[in-house]
Amino acid sequence: MHPLLKIESLCFTYTTPAAPVFRELNLSVDEGELVLIKGGSGTGKSTLLRLVCRLLPYQEGRILFRGRSIESVVPAELRRAIVYVAQIPSMTEASVRDNLLLPFSFAVNHDMVQPSEKKLEQMLEQFYLTDVALNHQARNMSVGQQQRIALMRALLLDPEILLLDEPTSALDEKSSSMIFSIIERLSAKEGKTILMVTHSNFTPQDVSPRSYVLENRKLRKV
Amino acid sequence: MSSVVEISLWQLMLGLVFILIAQVASFVYHLGLNRDITVGTIRTFAQLFLMGYALTFIFQLNSVWFTLGIFAVMAVSASFIIRGRVKEKQVPYMVPTFATMFISYFVTALFVSGLIIGVSPWWEPRYFLPIGGMVIGNSMSALAIALERLFREMRQQKGQIEMKLCLGANYKEASSEMFKNAVSAGMIPSINAMMGVGLVFIPGMMSGQILAGADPLQAIRYQIVIMLMLVGSTATTSIVSILIVRKRCFGKGEELLLSIGDKVDQ
Repeated sequence: MHPLLKIESLCFTYTTPAAPVFRELNLSVDEGELVLIKGGSGTGKSTLLRLVCRLLPYQEGRILFRGRSIESVVPAELRRAIVYVAQIPSMTEASVRDNLLLPFSFAVNHDMVQPSEKKLEQMLEQFYLTDVALNHQARNMSVGQQQRIALMRALLLDPEILLLDEPTSALDEKSSSMIFSIIERLSAKEGKTILMVTHSNFTPQDVSPRSYVLENRKLRKV
Repeated sequence: MSSVVEISLWQLMLGLVFILIAQVASFVYHLGLNRDITVGTIRTFAQLFLMGYALTFIFQLNSVWFTLGIFAVMAVSASFIIRGRVKEKQVPYMVPTFATMFISYFVTALFVSGLIIGVSPWWEPRYFLPIGGMVIGNSMSALAIALERLFREMRQQKGQIEMKLCLGANYKEASSEMFKNAVSAGMIPSINAMMGVGLVFIPGMMSGQILAGADPLQAIRYQIVIMLMLVGSTATTSIVSILIVRKRCFGKGEELLLSIGDKVDQ
């Protein structure tokens, strides 16, 4: 049985400046696992997630999704299965509803059923966004609210792996704890596979994550 | 039809009075343009005289290959001018741009001189080269505007493009807004020119024909054909070039290759 995601001997170097970010990096993520990656600024945490969803091409090693090299999967199909939520949420200049339904306008997602208004409203509640209406302008929301909308939008695609890039980095304590409790629920109750990089001290009660520190261009288990 | 009133050399020199006015203005108001005005004047004389002799020679030679050769030189020069205006280092755009320009301009000039005006042979340099020149000159500016806009917007909207890619969009879906904006930016000047022509300005080619003694009703027909031709050629060159160049902005994994400055997120 293949792990859901396997990273083998990954090497990556940015061309400018030409400094290696990873050398022989290995990681394996099983279905339903919550994996946390910590590390100082500039150690390459975001880069690792961007490599997994092919926002960056790697030079050496392999990244396998369900035993298949990610390079052999059609990019749009890969990114519907492995959804990356960026550190700074990006919204289009439209309502919350249009932002949430945006992925359903893309050809690769045409086989998916668009969620009903009722479902979207229920989700807003689950994401502590009771004061937000679906017709509100998404860009007028606070960063914390936008981060939760971005997370909702990703989950509507029911991805196999969720890649979360410092989801609480720009948030106050209250918003951060909301995000963390959502992530904990997604992992513990819904069995979502999550690979998350974070600076913050995330210690969930209902699930025991596997944690790593990214240092000296490699992952060290903690 | 009246014949052309010839301009003698000393009458031509009288035209320098206008330059003198500009030089005095620059001097009095410290505009710092005296050198540029002088160089510009010398270049205008030199380049146009050279062109006059060259065209006389080409018209006398009346060779298809020579005419096409001159056309190719014009297209190559245009693509170098575009390179000077569009400062883009990460995405190679010169080859597709030149290929699109050459093919599209050639087809347009061929269509106009051979079919609409009905010149025989179709490459008759007296018609083919000025028409080709007008297509190249106008579409070149359109293309430079469109390319510059595409690269600028793709960089500014990198977050939006990547957000869409991460939700399953293919590269075309993720950059459809930037594509539309770039192509329209390139096409708007030639469409606006159609709105203002005859009301706000008398186009140079038509003025030239009238001054050369042509019937104004014939001159406007030529001008109408030229205006339509310019809209068509700017549309085709902008759309085809931007389609090809946009594809080149993305890598094998449909990742956006354009980075903002040298800094890369870690």
